[in-house]
Amino acid sequence: MSHIAAAGEAADGAAAGRPGRASGPARPPGERRGRRVRRRLAPLAWLGPAGILIAVVVLWPIVTLVQTSLQDITPIGVTIGSAGAKNFTALLHNPNLPSILVRTVVWVVAVVGITMALSLGLAQLFNQRFPGRRVARWALIAPWAASVMMTALIFRWMLQPDNGAINIFLHQLGILHQFNSNSSSWLGRPDSAMAWMIGVAVFVSLPFTTYTLLAGLQTMPGELFEAAKVDGASRWRSYRSITLPLLRPAFVVAVVINMMNVFNSFPIIWEMTRGGPGYQTNTTTVFMYNLKESYIGEAAAMSIVNFTLIIVIVFCYLRINNWGRQAAA
Amino acid sequence: MKPRLTFGAAITAAALLALAACGSGSGSSPGSGGSTKLVFFGADYGTGPANSTTKYWDAIATAFHQANPAITVSVQTVDWTDFPDKVQTLVQNKQFPDILEGDAAPQFAQSHLLYPDSDVLSPAVLHNLIPTFLKDGQYQGTDYGIPFTTSTRALYYNKKIFAGAGISSPPQTWAQLQSDAAKIKAKGFVGYGMPLGSEEAQAEALLWFLGDGGGYLNSSGNYAINSSQNVQALQFMSQLVKAGDTQPSPGTTDRKDVWAEFAQGRVGMMLGSPAVIPIIQAAGVLPPSDYATANVPGKTGPLTSTLGVHDDIVAFNTGGHQAAIKKFLDFAYQDTYQLQFDHEYDLLPATQSAAATMARNPMFAAFLKNIPNSVNYPSKANWTTVQDQIQTTLGQAVTGNPQKILNAIQQTAATGG
Repeated sequence: MSHIAAAGEAADGAAAGRPGRASGPARPPGERRGRRVRRRLAPLAWLGPAGILIAVVVLWPIVTLVQTSLQDITPIGVTIGSAGAKNFTALLHNPNLPSILVRTVVWVVAVVGITMALSLGLAQLFNQRFPGRRVARWALIAPWAASVMMTALIFRWMLQPDNGAINIFLHQLGILHQFNSNSSSWLGRPDSAMAWMIGVAVFVSLPFTTYTLLAGLQTMPGELFEAAKVDGASRWRSYRSITLPLLRPAFVVAVVINMMNVFNSFPIIWEMTRGGPGYQTNTTTVFMYNLKESYIGEAAAMSIVNFTLIIVIVFCYLRINNWGRQAAA
Repeated sequence: MKPRLTFGAAITAAALLALAACGSGSGSSPGSGGSTKLVFFGADYGTGPANSTTKYWDAIATAFHQANPAITVSVQTVDWTDFPDKVQTLVQNKQFPDILEGDAAPQFAQSHLLYPDSDVLSPAVLHNLIPTFLKDGQYQGTDYGIPFTTSTRALYYNKKIFAGAGISSPPQTWAQLQSDAAKIKAKGFVGYGMPLGSEEAQAEALLWFLGDGGGYLNSSGNYAINSSQNVQALQFMSQLVKAGDTQPSPGTTDRKDVWAEFAQGRVGMMLGSPAVIPIIQAAGVLPPSDYATANVPGKTGPLTSTLGVHDDIVAFNTGGHQAAIKKFLDFAYQDTYQLQFDHEYDLLPATQSAAATMARNPMFAAFLKNIPNSVNYPSKANWTTVQDQIQTTLGQAVTGNPQKILNAIQQTAATGG
């Protein structure tokens, strides 16, 4: 951490030094003023494009979203007029919402939790020297590089009740007794569908998480572990007292980014169950899309609720991150 | 010199970006110099670029432009899955097409966006349309939807599987359907394919409701979705599912999945439209002698009226191109084009003259003869909302409580009617 801070200071110093160097011999006052104004405006030229981009791509959609959530819109998209808070009250009274919120929490906690646990192990493994490590590290990227939608579709096909690869395999093992039965219809039952989708979400989240943790592991100085060894610490003890605390910044970043990704995840659920049967595998993100088919205003309200939840997550992220930096320093 | 150059470049980049951001969203305006540009937006019935419906409309548009050089028609079609979303977006952004081929005429009419049929079709063309479907596109007594393509439903059955299971003729009643399905299941096939997934649950359900004297509307034309007949039909379906006589999880099975499985020769019976035929042909598993169609079984006997589905053309009044639209629609509704469309996608025509020509083909004759007394979806302004809820929730009725689910749908139907 201190390393990075020092580098930052050095860069700031260089930047601060530049104007002094640029001011050469004396010039006529008018020209000097013109130069000064231009120099003051110069950053605007560099910040401008990014500023406009943020305004157009981030802020403008938010404004439109808030507007939409306050309007009364017919299912075919004709705006009738203002709806006041009607969309929000309709959403809050939607009988499906409570179970969907609970499911969203389960979905995020389960996917992020399992991903982090598995990634800790995988990162440790990939941090060891072993023949073929380079190939293994490349292979881990595959689920990340493949389109999530494609992965979800492939899993859906593998789980087909009639002749899906996974069902055939289970049948050969003698676990599955009959094709086309209820037990072979993994995605038709809400509970097993959720379990499989959590599995797929973990599968696609592993690469990013493992690499983040691996990067954290690789920055750890070997001397610390040597010293611990000299002091007679067991492997488990040095993992708990050295590795985990030093890994905290990377861990926090991985958790928070995963939380946002998983919360916003749409393609896995959409491709595997469309949120069905009924609303029984909807998360709030999928529900927002389902609502949009007939209730555009209410869907916008759901979006705002989602958006607020994300802001809360980001806020937590910033706090935890600050706290993490202090703890590490 | 160099800093100034980059300064300028940055300003230009920023300006371009702002321009690009503002550039989208402006609508098309009527062409100048006496020429008119019509925008056609339609659903795509094809399975890929090779048989895209854009091709069909482009050919008509080109021929039309040659006959009427003052009018150009630009064509865009979108896959059925994305069609509702795309139309929603167009309407929400007020980018109305002049002509829309697809769904939901009453809703557009309710928002005063449409020309009535009589404004955009000459009387000869209007009177050639099949009456059952025409009256369906009415809003407050005026016709707004112009039926363009239609289909009816029948029971498809796999003759080879039937013979193997010792069944001599297709079922006529629900009880026969169940005992046949059980025999087929014993041979390792799916007895009856029941798609109640979100793709088209409203069709499968209605065909069962009709078998019990139910339906979405009562005899006075009001929603009666939670009628006792409908509940009983779902109860029968749900014990069929529990007995394992269907594929598992009907609530998450889409129509296209069942049709594909039937085409692979793994399903004994299912309900379908003529559009199943090209799927069977493409799969290349079932020769024409291995499958046939029959009337849809009902509780005590086969249905006397089956489900008829029609997709409509509507003409938007927002662009003010009434005369040009009329010319184009009169041109597009020629028998040649109607038959060409039905030949391409194995659907049925919407005009009486084209239907008469098509009835000479025995494969389609069975479907065509069902048209005059077919039952259609309710032509109510809130039907798409109701339909959406049916698609999402009805599948649960065969595993859960049918009465509760139908009550919830009826409530939605009654509030927006």
